[in-house]
Amino acid sequence: MQPRTRPIQRFAQAVSKCSAEAAVYGKCVVADYNSIHKDLCAKEFMKLKNCYLV
Amino acid sequence: MRLSVARVRLRLPVQRPTLSLCSCLSFATTATRFPSPTLSLCARRAYASQAPGGTSFNVFNTHTKWLQKERAAANPELSRQADYLKDEVAMRVCERLLDVKRHFPAVLDLGANSCNIARALVSPNPDPDPSTPLSPPLATKIGSLTCADSSPTLLHRDASLPFDASLLSLTRLVLPPDETAPLPFPPESFDMVLSSLSLHWVNDLPGALARVNAVLKPDSPFIGAMLGGDTLFELRTSLQLAEQERRGGISPHVSPLADVRDVGGLLQRAGFQMLTVDVEDIVVDYPDIFALMQDLQAMGEGNAVLGREMGAIRRDVLLAGEAIYRELHGNEDGSLPATFRVIHMIGWKAGGNQPKPLKRGSGEVNLKDILEKK
Repeated sequence: MQPRTRPIQRFAQAVSKCSAEAAVYGKCVVADYNSIHKDLCAKEFMKLKNCYLV
Repeated sequence: MRLSVARVRLRLPVQRPTLSLCSCLSFATTATRFPSPTLSLCARRAYASQAPGGTSFNVFNTHTKWLQKERAAANPELSRQADYLKDEVAMRVCERLLDVKRHFPAVLDLGANSCNIARALVSPNPDPDPSTPLSPPLATKIGSLTCADSSPTLLHRDASLPFDASLLSLTRLVLPPDETAPLPFPPESFDMVLSSLSLHWVNDLPGALARVNAVLKPDSPFIGAMLGGDTLFELRTSLQLAEQERRGGISPHVSPLADVRDVGGLLQRAGFQMLTVDVEDIVVDYPDIFALMQDLQAMGEGNAVLGREMGAIRRDVLLAGEAIYRELHGNEDGSLPATFRVIHMIGWKAGGNQPKPLKRGSGEVNLKDILEKK
């Protein structure tokens, strides 16, 4: 019997396909991490999220 | 009228670190005429010091921690796979025994997890130095070992596996889940107490160390290791940044931990002598943040901080956290390092003809003369 895949593993797999978008978002946050606030990098994040949802 | 009383009571925080508030609680329930009782009416004042045996400030939810350990151990395979950190630290704790030339008839392993220390003790050749002859397993120095932990499933996880009982007689003992209860042993009953990677979940660390001191025979060592300081700082910082950016606020995901400089004071306060405290960083590389968190879960080391946000961590935060972790801390080869800072401590219970520091002012040699001659 195939062991059940946990949802988090499927999530991890989907995320691993979006390393380019993740790097862009990561750079955006890290560039200015001393004055981080909500939705500082909303645009980059939505790109990353769209990538993993596909 | 009654309703307003209930509201006032609710507004008072359930846990407060200061003791003087306790006397105000009774006042608040009786004073129905005042809409909000002010603290200045409370006559008793005290210094901000902790009374011995008084209430401690709770940081961790002990029941959650117990559940996490039980659940982790319910899947033995996964739990064994994630035992690498505990096995490594148990080995390093046991190596310290090589420095003590003594035989210990009765030893307690407090917070044993899955008896990692027992496994480390029976492992052959604990001192792999080519220049020295083969050393026998450390278990030869030990008469009987009592492994005590509050989680029965984790404690008995490997009970069915073959274990060389000729080397070490092993007893497993389930501790009561209430950590403030005294240990179920008569005082002065052990020749040594070991503890590996469990003290960092104790709310009342001074009390726990004092209880350890009580069950030790005079002139006996306590050798322990706990996570502390900058453990998992990479995970902590990237989740903080992710949560701040995505949701505009943070909630604790990594426990607050004791620092190295606190541990010396804690041991001293518990009455230990001849202290040794040192730090080791163990860095483990993981493919991604999910592997790290999955392993932490399988170790039973999930988040159990009181006042954390209940429920699973949001997907958005995880997604952002992974990206930030990789950018901020990632290795060049694409793996993510996770630092585990292990604080090792050794303390001896007073007694016997232990070397002691001389009395203050009894020095007869001027250090200045000696240092200037060199």
